Amino acid sequence: MRANKRERNTPVLAAEGIVAGYLPGVDVLRGCSIEVGPGELVGVIGPNGAGKSTLAKAVFGLLRVRAGTVRLNGEDVTGRPAHELVRRGVGYVPQLQNVFASLTVEENLRMGVYLRPRDYARRAAAVEELFPVLAARRRQKAGSMSGGERQMLAMARALMTEPQLLLLDEPSAGLSPLHQDHVFDRVREINGAGVAVLMVEQNARRCLQICHRGYVLDQGRNAYTGRGTDLLHDEKVIACYLGTLARAR
Amino acid sequence: MRCQRVFTAALALGLVMLPAVTARARGEDAPRGPVGPAFGGRALQALVDGIQFGVIIAITAVGLSLVFGTIHLINFAHGEFVTVGATFAFFLNASPAGPGWHLIPAAVAAVALGALLGAAVDRGVWRPLRARGTGLINLFIVTIGLSLLLRHIVLVLYGTRPGSYAQYDIQSAIGLGPVGITPRDLTVTVLAVLVLLGVAVLLQRTRTGTAVRAVSANRDLAEASGIDVRRVVLFVWMLGGGLAALGGVFFGLVETVTWDMGFKLLLMMFAGIILGGLGSAYGAMAGSLVIGVVAQMSTLWFPVDLQYAWALLVLIVVLLVRPQGILGRAERVG
Ligand SMILES: Nc1ncnc2c1ncn2[C@@H]1O[C@H](COP(=O)(O)OP(=O)(O)OP(=O)(O)O)[C@@H](O)[C@H]1O
Ligand SMILES: [Mg+2]
Repeated sequence: MRANKRERNTPVLAAEGIVAGYLPGVDVLRGCSIEVGPGELVGVIGPNGAGKSTLAKAVFGLLRVRAGTVRLNGEDVTGRPAHELVRRGVGYVPQLQNVFASLTVEENLRMGVYLRPRDYARRAAAVEELFPVLAARRRQKAGSMSGGERQMLAMARALMTEPQLLLLDEPSAGLSPLHQDHVFDRVREINGAGVAVLMVEQNARRCLQICHRGYVLDQGRNAYTGRGTDLLHDEKVIACYLGTLARAR
Repeated sequence: MRCQRVFTAALALGLVMLPAVTARARGEDAPRGPVGPAFGGRALQALVDGIQFGVIIAITAVGLSLVFGTIHLINFAHGEFVTVGATFAFFLNASPAGPGWHLIPAAVAAVALGALLGAAVDRGVWRPLRARGTGLINLFIVTIGLSLLLRHIVLVLYGTRPGSYAQYDIQSAIGLGPVGITPRDLTVTVLAVLVLLGVAVLLQRTRTGTAVRAVSANRDLAEASGIDVRRVVLFVWMLGGGLAALGGVFFGLVETVTWDMGFKLLLMMFAGIILGGLGSAYGAMAGSLVIGVVAQMSTLWFPVDLQYAWALLVLIVVLLVRPQGILGRAERVG
């Protein structure tokens, strides 16, 4: 009973005081903390260059963490390579170049489930149900698909391993309003099925509308944290990050 | 701009045609010229020789291309993988100091050594230097040093004397119409084609091969998909080393084993890879084939000593027309 309770309260992802950067001596993230509980949908917003993508990469092990810890279900995974995090149930969709352009749709999905090739058929059926557009295009090269289709494929690839935590870096970027809605619907659907989601978004209003909680990141630090809808109505957040037009709604 | 490009291409083409035209004008003075009753037969023969040369270049070039595709390193020491394979097989097979094995097990051992050498370069040079943040240009220079080092180790151990393997040395050609080919050369060509097909199947149909292509396409995303990129890179090094060694044995069989054979072949490999489209394994195969055929066909008109130069000229001409190479794709914008 007690073990059960602890499991419930341990966040799926807990990153604390993350310091990371690309160039020696230049920290892009300067002590950034973030938490995602089981089954939670968490949004991260912030101005361009705030370090949102950097945070996702650092958490996922694609970028070396200079200080701070990353815990997965309470276990310290700081500095572990990305492919190990995949094995531990984390999926990641990068902001740019999020598909293998020279591979076919099918090969992209096969690579998604690289660690467990036997699961391919079962998982492919599952993600194709979520993204029907992919089923008809198995043999198409990913590089020749439209931006929206690519975004679907990128998410499908990351879902192939049945992750318990999905990191999405701007899934709606560059899509028409209709496609954006479609993507957000899918994200909600995925989250509804029990997958914890950390979503970085430029489309702050839409993101905060569907998120349970949101973080506002600025210059590598947490600026605000709160319930999605609270942030949406916070005067300071509106003034600084959402733009005054947001007030009109 | 476009005018200039067409002009340069035309100029180069003219250069190629000019000697042919003069040879024709000389008529009977030039019995080896492009006219005369036997020319068709000789051209066919050169084509067959060229295909044979081309598939051997292709076997050695595929590894170079895969290494470039996955880690963007131009491995200047790749030619030495070829030499090491050929001379090691020679030691096992025909050297008085060696155990005198039959060529087939000797070739297998040479391929294993080539793969081991590839692994050693990965673990001993590429990985540690890359982990310290050494740039690609610096690493390219390091591979030039490695090439010199390996070549001279071979020179000390093997010497300058050209050698031939103990088996399949002298054979008489079997005639197929106007074309003559020894059973040895025919076997080498067929084996080389089979190996190339095998590599294609490996890349296209197996999980590891798809992972190699995935790493080439997008390294970070491969890592994000759960692929252990470092293991894939190690595999590519070993595959490339093994194939280079096999190509070395093949080349030593149809020509001779020398201490600098791989270095000489390296230029042809580069030409084949660039011609085919950088980073594409199939491009490397196609490009190498073209280079081999051009090099051999050029001997119909020109001195054999110039055959490599003609191959490089064709490279320049093709790049003027198709800067991305035969199978390469123009970079997608946006
Ligand atoms: N590969 C890199 N090398 C050096 N600096 C980088 C690199 N990638 C990002 N940066 C820098 O790190 C900072 C944060 O970038 P990051 O991509 O995390 O921003 P972001 O919050 O995701 O912005 P956006 O909303 O525009 O995607 C920027 O100043 C950027 O210039
Ligand atoms: Mg970003």
